[in-house]
Amino acid sequence: MLQYKSQAVAKPYFIAAIALFIGQILFGLILGLQYVMGDFLFPEIPFNVARMVHTNLLIVWLLFGFMGAAYYLVPEEAETELHSPGLAILMFWIFLIAGALTVLGYLLVPYARLAELTGNHLWPTMGREFLEQPTITKVGIVVVALAFLYNVGMTILKGRKTVVSLVLLIGLVGLAVLFLFAFYNPENLVKDKFYWWWVVHLWVEGVWELIMGAILAFVLIKLTGVDREVIEKWLYVIIAMALITGIIGTGHHYFWIGTPEYWQWWGSIFSALEPLPFFMMTVFAFNMVNRRRRNHPNKAAMLWALGTGVMAFLGAGVWGFLHTLAPVNYYTHGSQITAAHGHMAFYGAYVMIVLTIISYAMPMLRGREAANSNRSQVVEMWSFWLMTVSMVFITLFLTGAGILQVWLQRYSDDPQPFMVVQEKIELFYWMREVAGVIFLIGLVLYVISFFVGQRQPEASAKPLPAVSPAEA
Amino acid sequence: MHAVAEAMTGRPDSFPLPERRAQGSAAGAAQERVAWPPGDLAIWIFILAELAVFAIFFAAYAFARMGELELFVTYQQTLDTNLALINTLALITSSYFVVRAVGRIRADDAGGCIRWLAGALLLGGVFLGVKSLEYAHLFGEGVSLSTNTFYTFYLSLTFFHFMHVVMGMVILAAVAVKAAQGHYSREVHTGVETGASYWHMVDLVWLILFPLVYVM
Amino acid sequence: MTAIRPETLVWLLLVALTLLTWGVGQEGLNGPAVSLGLLGVALFKGHLVGDWFMGLRRVRGPWRWVIALWLLLPGGLIALAFLLAAR
Repeated sequence: MLQYKSQAVAKPYFIAAIALFIGQILFGLILGLQYVMGDFLFPEIPFNVARMVHTNLLIVWLLFGFMGAAYYLVPEEAETELHSPGLAILMFWIFLIAGALTVLGYLLVPYARLAELTGNHLWPTMGREFLEQPTITKVGIVVVALAFLYNVGMTILKGRKTVVSLVLLIGLVGLAVLFLFAFYNPENLVKDKFYWWWVVHLWVEGVWELIMGAILAFVLIKLTGVDREVIEKWLYVIIAMALITGIIGTGHHYFWIGTPEYWQWWGSIFSALEPLPFFMMTVFAFNMVNRRRRNHPNKAAMLWALGTGVMAFLGAGVWGFLHTLAPVNYYTHGSQITAAHGHMAFYGAYVMIVLTIISYAMPMLRGREAANSNRSQVVEMWSFWLMTVSMVFITLFLTGAGILQVWLQRYSDDPQPFMVVQEKIELFYWMREVAGVIFLIGLVLYVISFFVGQRQPEASAKPLPAVSPAEA
Repeated sequence: MHAVAEAMTGRPDSFPLPERRAQGSAAGAAQERVAWPPGDLAIWIFILAELAVFAIFFAAYAFARMGELELFVTYQQTLDTNLALINTLALITSSYFVVRAVGRIRADDAGGCIRWLAGALLLGGVFLGVKSLEYAHLFGEGVSLSTNTFYTFYLSLTFFHFMHVVMGMVILAAVAVKAAQGHYSREVHTGVETGASYWHMVDLVWLILFPLVYVM
Repeated sequence: MTAIRPETLVWLLLVALTLLTWGVGQEGLNGPAVSLGLLGVALFKGHLVGDWFMGLRRVRGPWRWVIALWLLLPGGLIALAFLLAAR
């Protein structure tokens, strides 16, 4: 049951997120096939367009997920209704339509034509990786973000202020402010790249970690019943570490773009420690579950919450560390190792945290007391394992491809041309594609989990064994 | 990791301190050892994370020095060891003052605690002032982060530490203010110990940094 | 009341060791033996701070050794790098 009626606005956001997630994966499969069959779907969907759609959809659906998460958890944290549910719904439709039009624009007209149509020459911001959106779409994103922050901010102001909602708000404000650098497009290529990373890096390795930490903390408070004070302390330590390592860690993108040499030291040293906050998040999640004061009937949500800690540490932490030191990155830069890291990091940290909050909140949003039926949860947990294990394999195959690529193309005494090497690592791409298909099956199961077992009673939780006085 | 995990699991949210030795009495009185370091456990997790950053930084310095030995030896001599000596003594003494401040609050003497904290803050200020003089001198000579690898490290390491001194002073000042508001007593003073532990970490790091960068 | 606190003695010892390190610098002594000696002094000072100022002397279990173990990490790496550099 919802504690506050206005939390219901989170539902369309979550549904849209899942729908766009499906789109992202379909384009991922197209892309994966194009790695080995270069002319697949050419000229309808060229590689560069498919890639743009794959990455842009990811970001947009995660943003939908974050916004839905905020609309769900902020009223509960602030103990008051959302400032304006109507504004939230309006922004939902504006964001969805703007996003759909942008993707259609990518697919239906050549990119250069899209730039022309949307007046890119008036304020050129297009053509940069991940920031391909037409300038007008970017303006739309800012409008939606402002309205969203206003709505959430007002809610927090009028209600109870908790560490969780404040950390979430700081993360979301940071997200919006840093996006403004998408509008800064200096002539100088070095400066262009320098500030481009302020959006890209400081999002995923900075403020998004705050959002992730806040959502994880919220879900853990709800699932485990551990004292808020304990969880908040952890949250402080985690975000402090995330910011110390993440902000200066931006330097690991400044090794070879024409910035001063000291960035090689700064970037290497600080980004080498970026796994720390993720490691803390894992220890945090498992600890809170060990110390739980009750068993929550939503076991699937618990699985996602623990999974996101582990997978974020592996994907963002370990796989990031693999190629973050300047002397290593000198060889691995922009290879399939980067792709391996990107896949597991995004999945482990941000996909899984959004699926965690959806898993926790959706039953209540759909009128359940606290959890779905056992049957539905079993299907959801199957989807968890299918998606997670296949993502591990995608990552391992891409890592294999990357190591071979670096070896043959860069490290060897007799370096071979890019395309020659690409053919030699084809087998890895095929295996990655197979793992991708399994991921899609997992995703389909995930969607199915929302429709099975609806008529069955809610899952119940076994009560915890009696607590000894020493622990109480 | 297991030890840490276990530690995080078992600790009560706040724990009564075992009977400490009576204020001012000689040390060495046999007493029970406790399972947890003084202060909030969260600060200790943070201290460990911070120490990890510094450890990597120190090691990076040493290995960079290995690569450009002559340059490091030459430019190390441009640093002012006398100013560094003053700063080391300031931090050590300030750390000692903080020890005394914790001792006072354990004796239920908030006034004494505040006075020792004020002394510690004053010495922190001395450190910042002296360090700023050093920076001003070097910048006046035209030294920058990009001058050479030695200065890259010298400036980065000391400035990173400088920011920790600032952070530590903010924490100590907050503790002093709370003490003045009467929040701490013999029974309740985890906050004082928390701030103290962080400040000692700032001191500890400098004790390695000083010989490494200025003398060795 | 007049007995000297052990923390005060530790503080005086830290001051003395600092002056020693500084003095070695003033004398212009160098070489791997001197460097490693100074490193040893620094690690010892760190241990004193951990034990007496941070109060780990009164702690049992894994936290008792947390600073000492940390000191070995940069200490070992620095020693290794200095020895390799001196070869």
